[in-house]
Amino acid sequence: MITAPESPAVIETNPFPHWFQREQAAALADYESTPAPTRRDEAWRFASLKALDLSAFVPAPEIASEGKLINASTGLGDFAARFVFGNNALVHHEAPALPEGVIVEPLDVAAYEHEALFRAYFMAQPVELGSHKYARLHKAMLTGGVLVHVPKNVEVALPIELFYWVEGENSSVFPHTLIVLGDNAKVTVIDHFKSADGARAFACGINDFHLGRGSQLTYAAVQDWSRDTLAFHLNSTLVGRDATATALLANFGGGYVRGESLSKLAHDGGRSVMLSMNLADGTREIDQHTLQDHAAKHASSDLLYQNVVDDAARTIFAGIIRVQEGESQTDAYQRVRNLLLTDDAIAVSMPGLEILNDDVRCTHGATSGGLDPDELFYMQARGISKKLAARLIVAGRFNSLVERIDNEALRDRLRAVIADRLGV
Amino acid sequence: MSLSIQNLTANIGDLPILKGITLEVPKGEVHAIMGKNGSGKSTLAKIMAGHPDYTVTGGDVLMDGRSLFEIAGPDERARAGLFLAFQYPMEIPGVTIANFIRAAIQSRLAEGEELEATDYYANLYAKMDALKIPRAFTSRSVNEGFSGGEKKRCEILQMAMLEPKYAVLDETDSGLDIDALKIVSEGVNALRSPDRGFLVITHYQRLLDYIVPDRVHVMVDGRIAMSGDKNLALELEARGYDWVTETAAEPALA
Amino acid sequence: MSAILEPTAKPQIDIDRSVGDFRYDVDYSYDAGVGLNEATIDYICDVKKDPAWIREFRKDAYRKFLEKPMPTHWASHDLDNIVFENIRYYLSQGTQASRTWDDVPEEMKRTFERLGIPEQERKYLAGVEAQFDSEAAYSNIKAAVGEQGVIFVGSTEGLQKHPEIFRKWFGKVIPTGDNKFSALNSAVFSGGSFIYVPPGVKVKHPLQAYFRINAQNFGQFERTLIIADEGAEVMYMEGCTAPKFETATLHSAVVELVALKGAKIQYVTVQNWSANVFNLVTKRGLAHEEAEIKWIDCNIGSRLTMKYPSVVMKGRKARGEVISIALANDGQHQDTGAKMIHAADETTSNVVSKSISIGSGQATYRGLVDIPPHHRGCRNNTECDALLINTHSRTDTYPTIITRGNRNACQHEASVSKVSAEQIFYMQQRGLNQGQAMSLAVNGFVNDLVREFPMEYSVELKRLIDLEMEGSVG
Repeated sequence: MITAPESPAVIETNPFPHWFQREQAAALADYESTPAPTRRDEAWRFASLKALDLSAFVPAPEIASEGKLINASTGLGDFAARFVFGNNALVHHEAPALPEGVIVEPLDVAAYEHEALFRAYFMAQPVELGSHKYARLHKAMLTGGVLVHVPKNVEVALPIELFYWVEGENSSVFPHTLIVLGDNAKVTVIDHFKSADGARAFACGINDFHLGRGSQLTYAAVQDWSRDTLAFHLNSTLVGRDATATALLANFGGGYVRGESLSKLAHDGGRSVMLSMNLADGTREIDQHTLQDHAAKHASSDLLYQNVVDDAARTIFAGIIRVQEGESQTDAYQRVRNLLLTDDAIAVSMPGLEILNDDVRCTHGATSGGLDPDELFYMQARGISKKLAARLIVAGRFNSLVERIDNEALRDRLRAVIADRLGV
Repeated sequence: MSLSIQNLTANIGDLPILKGITLEVPKGEVHAIMGKNGSGKSTLAKIMAGHPDYTVTGGDVLMDGRSLFEIAGPDERARAGLFLAFQYPMEIPGVTIANFIRAAIQSRLAEGEELEATDYYANLYAKMDALKIPRAFTSRSVNEGFSGGEKKRCEILQMAMLEPKYAVLDETDSGLDIDALKIVSEGVNALRSPDRGFLVITHYQRLLDYIVPDRVHVMVDGRIAMSGDKNLALELEARGYDWVTETAAEPALA
Repeated sequence: MSAILEPTAKPQIDIDRSVGDFRYDVDYSYDAGVGLNEATIDYICDVKKDPAWIREFRKDAYRKFLEKPMPTHWASHDLDNIVFENIRYYLSQGTQASRTWDDVPEEMKRTFERLGIPEQERKYLAGVEAQFDSEAAYSNIKAAVGEQGVIFVGSTEGLQKHPEIFRKWFGKVIPTGDNKFSALNSAVFSGGSFIYVPPGVKVKHPLQAYFRINAQNFGQFERTLIIADEGAEVMYMEGCTAPKFETATLHSAVVELVALKGAKIQYVTVQNWSANVFNLVTKRGLAHEEAEIKWIDCNIGSRLTMKYPSVVMKGRKARGEVISIALANDGQHQDTGAKMIHAADETTSNVVSKSISIGSGQATYRGLVDIPPHHRGCRNNTECDALLINTHSRTDTYPTIITRGNRNACQHEASVSKVSAEQIFYMQQRGLNQGQAMSLAVNGFVNDLVREFPMEYSVELKRLIDLEMEGSVG
């Protein structure tokens, strides 16, 4: 089992300041005393709880093939900054095009050099969609991760690209991307989660996004862990007044993947676009929980999840739109589309609404079904084989999400990732 | 060399739709099939293309001597040289026209042979220009959000790019205004060649003013009730379909 | 926010339950006393002269009731306010229902006359059962219908006189331990209808049951079992009222429907309990091959209703349908929905739910669509629309859709909206006052569903909505 900093003593190899190490020790204690999820927990109703057994996982060793990983960490042609982590350790970083004042630093450095920022924003938002226990573990075990801070009125033209690698049998990694945007700041960030080998691993990642007034964040994550990896990806986005967050989460890998995405519209006029493309094949289980939390007026949220379920895989989608009392002029939209490709595929949809104000426009929908035979026929009538037609249709569904990303370089990159993954 | 339909019968479920169709489209000719709604025109088109909802109960369709029904999937028939312009083209979200047509052409190439991108785009743009389809459409999803006229032009574009031996146009004129009809017709006429046969299915004579057929066949209740030259379409327009039904009912003309 | 509909100007709607708000003092011959224990169950068994297997069934159910936790991990915590030891579980003047109104004890007869039951029976019903607290006071079926072999009696009588059919299906659609309240009902059930429609018989007019709670601190636990044999068709309607008591009252029914091959059952409910009633009902139908079960459900009354009519489609091409209207006023929580289990190929189901939340009322839709492994051609369509009348009205939607395999299709759509200010303005410009406009808009919202109810009920429903909306703006 994973061993953590022995509480309450401070460990010299831990790169964080002592005050944070004490918080880590408390987090570990909290992790240990929090019961594991059970079938009776609504947030875990359909999850394969057996997959949550962490007993085999160990702290990740130093990576063996640093050069190889760095060479494989290529994506965008031009970028503002690129950071590469291997087994939690920063192995490479470059920042060729960062505007002045923009901070992109490893969290352990940020905890010293930008302590105020770190204290104010690091995991400030509670994890409330079921994985509190694992969020505590994440905090306790944290060594890597990045702080991106874009100050007021600054726009980072090129995307920032982050790679998180895991290597070795039963290695545990704890990726963390913390993005803090000042008023009217603008940035585009892409996270890559990848396995250096086919080994089973444990990944427990957190993303914290804080958007100042009028700021704009475009974020994409491409999760491509090895086939047996147990992965948690817990995202929280706090949208400021008149700010816009657009996030596209792609899940292409992993064994059991638990995703939680919270968008909190805490200030008037905020907007959050939550997109996800999920390719469940083999025996993969992708278990996603979302909350569009409207705690302000004139705010809008728009969620679209495209799930493709192949082989004996399954997807679970549980989403809630919550409009709090008094939060008028809310516009919220939530949709999950499940495309099932085999007789053994399973898709569970739980699109929920909790509406405590009448002045709203809220709709949600969930559809599940196989490929449209007429669509297939049309493509076959052009000479395209059934197999290829199916892959094209899947790529099409994913690409239609990519279209909603407001950054051409990122769109191209994501299209390439999709084409590569689907062989089209 | 011809597309030869021989006493073709077909059902949807247990319901007979085609009740013995015989006609032959020699290469280089344009034949029109006219008929009322429900006469089985579109069914004929879909059956030739291999739509899974229909069961062929008898007869055959030979494309240059080879039975279509011995070619298993709709995609293989298409690659063998048969093109169907759909009455209701499908929308395929997220798949761009450029990628779609490229995948279709690529599927006709031998294993390992790659379509040359520059040539492909040059060809595509030239044909789009001819059909007055804005070049920006290459990055639009196939048929998604297209107007009726745009969809039909896009069908003709695909035909032009895929260069079939025989093309079946299913109500390509439906939903088109006069300008769009002209563009589409010009597109089809440009593809007329001694190496290609057309079967144009239509409800109205109007289309045949622009795509002048060599032969016209009238379909009634799953059969060809009458055949003639292009003047038959005009006569039909003047006298209506009931005239065919009545005339065809007379044994002398049967 | 438009100036046309200021929050304070919005109508406060008060449900008209005056029709049912009266009670008579009745001398009960049988009274199981207050609270529940094994002796209570023995008392009920003795009064009803239950066979031994039913006594055992009840006691087993009682144990399950005690074991089962309250479902508050997903349901309303208001359930915790039910004090089981304060409830009276059995009250009657005898277990035999009268066949003529003249034989019904005076107070009960007067009650049902005030509620208009005998009149409705004369006008358009094929049979009526009228339950007063724990037992049916009146139960009769038109001679012509009875002659076709249709059985329509109370559950006590069904158990005693038709054990061969009763025992075959009783408790088979809804297992005792399905939930805490089905277990409670199974332990203390009394009253409800037993209906059997022989093969091929199509009952032209509806059969109706009316459930009346008269006593305070009372729990009504009727148990209904309807079997439509092959090719048979029947429509069953139930209505209910209770006087407005100071203390909470519990109504917890179990309704089991069995539609054999090609049969059709329509089950219509207009629930108008007074606002102190906990209405916790388990309803499920089993549809065999090509059979059709349709629940048409309207919930207007009660303090908390939890009811999710279900159809288990266990035969090829079976069909299930739930049409549901819920109206939640101040202090009310309508937690309703539907469950559709597609346990055979080519089964289709349809759920249409519309709710209206008024004042601090809360309407919740909870649904389950489940397609077990390796089926093909199964289809579900679900639509849930919620209308919110006041700024602090609340609605929730919690569907669960489990789709297995690529040969089936499920579609769920839901929307939440308020009455559009423009619509109200338009109607006001035509001379309607705000209350009338609101009432029209609300009626319009549910209109397509109201039409699914039998004529007599739909007229009543419209009248109810009209009355309340009009009277709301002063």
